[in-house]
Amino acid sequence: MMTEQIAAVLRACLFIAIALLLCMVIFAAVGLSAIDTLRGVVEGAFFRPRAMDHVLRWGLPLLITSVGVVICFRAGYFNIGAQGQFYMGAIAAAFAAEALRGTSPLVAVPLCMLAGIVGGAIWALWPALLRVKAGADEVISTMMGNFIAALVLVHVTSGPLKDPSGSGQATSSLPVDAAHRISATTGTSPIILGITALVVLLGWWLTRRTAFGVLSGLAGRNPTMVTWQGADVERIAIGAFLVSGAFAGLAGSIELLGPNGRLASGFLPAHGFTAVVIALVASLSVLATVFVALFFGALASAALYLPVMAGLPAAAIQIINASIALFITSRTEAAENLLSRWRARWKT
Amino acid sequence: MEDLIIAFLRSGTPIVYIAIAGVIAQRAGIWNLGLEGLMIVGACATIVTIRLTGSVSLALLVAVALCALLSLLLWFVVEILKANQIIAGLGITGLGLGGTSLALTAIFGSEAAVFAPHGLPRLGPAFGVFGSLSILVLAMPFLVFGIWLVLCRSRFGLRLSAAGEHPFAARAIGVSPTRMRFWALLLGAPFCALAGAELAAGSLQLFSVNMTAGRGFMGFAAVIFGAGHPIGATLAAFFFAFVGALGIRAQLLYGDLFPSSLLLSLPYVATVIGLWISARIKGPSAATNSELGRS
Repeated sequence: MMTEQIAAVLRACLFIAIALLLCMVIFAAVGLSAIDTLRGVVEGAFFRPRAMDHVLRWGLPLLITSVGVVICFRAGYFNIGAQGQFYMGAIAAAFAAEALRGTSPLVAVPLCMLAGIVGGAIWALWPALLRVKAGADEVISTMMGNFIAALVLVHVTSGPLKDPSGSGQATSSLPVDAAHRISATTGTSPIILGITALVVLLGWWLTRRTAFGVLSGLAGRNPTMVTWQGADVERIAIGAFLVSGAFAGLAGSIELLGPNGRLASGFLPAHGFTAVVIALVASLSVLATVFVALFFGALASAALYLPVMAGLPAAAIQIINASIALFITSRTEAAENLLSRWRARWKT
Repeated sequence: MEDLIIAFLRSGTPIVYIAIAGVIAQRAGIWNLGLEGLMIVGACATIVTIRLTGSVSLALLVAVALCALLSLLLWFVVEILKANQIIAGLGITGLGLGGTSLALTAIFGSEAAVFAPHGLPRLGPAFGVFGSLSILVLAMPFLVFGIWLVLCRSRFGLRLSAAGEHPFAARAIGVSPTRMRFWALLLGAPFCALAGAELAAGSLQLFSVNMTAGRGFMGFAAVIFGAGHPIGATLAAFFFAFVGALGIRAQLLYGDLFPSSLLLSLPYVATVIGLWISARIKGPSAATNSELGRS
């Protein structure tokens, strides 16, 4: 068991190293110094003042969303709509926060989070139903869901919840009632930390200690077998989608009540894709997501640091995330085969 | 009426080109979700090269070369390293979106939109009101027909389909699916480049970050809606474009009655509906639910 986990970690490290190599090639190709850029990323991620605060600020919401992605991917469904579910959660929470303005935070905060959970779950439900009832591919439907949710966000921030004092192209909503904020603009808070811990525990319990976890893990590998054994694959699928949407929506409500304090059109555009990458790097283990999410949280915080402090484009982080996604599902055996073939060619 | 047709052809042509690239890959057995990234690289390379050198043909050459390079990277990761096609494809998309915005910042100092002094050659006054359309719009039906000939009426095309549908059978008659997929992705690359070029230089002559806005994914959905057939995918792509053009029209006419950002989401909604209809016709697709990259 232990050696298996070490092998998984080594495997992830190998493909991340290959991915970083590709990043350096790309940086060099567009005329940036590859070494300087990578140094800037590491500096921004780990060695700036109050680095730990920034890592948690970005890492915890990502962790919540990626636990949901893990659960859906384990069941064999490529729900890549975390971004849209995250937005819909934030939008639902914003409407709740607007309605509950002035009430006690003890009532308002849980209700807003509940709204976020429901909003995210609903946005995961329709692709799930399309997949299960009609067989429509969930990759495209969830991807389209992301675009639609982003436009709904534009609509909400420029219409129903518009901040009239706002100007310019980027629209935003009215700020949330100050009493309902669960953290300051920078950094994080014990409440967010506590909720994240709960989500991780819940995710771990669902995947490791329940029939749903066992069956969804099996269904992800071989749905036919699970059907023959009499389990209801449809219910497992819908459950997996709902849980993952709910977690993404919860993360959206936390971003709203916490660091952001308001909706802004197009906020955190990379959240969902990063959560997918985290889930895959963690090889779909809930406990591993904790560490991986913090690592990617550090990268996300570097994205804000780069242009300001190091004069480097923030897109560098997007490149790193994408190239890790490109390589992370590779098979180690395939890489070994390739290496041995090359070695054989060298010898002859 | 004419301006509606022009808007329709303008928005449809890039999606047709990218869908053709998707069809070629799909028939060879690759679910190419990197189309979005390939398309934006084609768009960025075209505009930046025209801006820097002034030559349209050189721009198209650079766009094709970059798309081919990225396509082959996808082939290497999927076929040699045996990575999951869907995730690796999304990785290519991310590289394209991030790489183009990185390139803009590195070359021009900011992520602001880049304008080119001129775009692709236009049809000219001989075509009357349609003269403002680019030559790629006129070339499209011929290229689609050519690809139909190659895919559905040639030995190469049949081998390509064999590699996608029955890799084992293909291997048995001495066709290597891995090699066929290499050629499929390479053949698709020019179409990705043309899709990007038409989008950025067909009528606008500008490139801005994230300007493809999901058209690559729409092209992929058109492949599925069109059952992997070049003609079917073309019709599907035009259907999505038609809904898009209708949305823009409605925005102009009824913008104050109905929120414009919601009208803009019409093509995405149409894509979902198209997906649903094609699933109802064909039955559940077998390609997903495949094993994820679990070691």
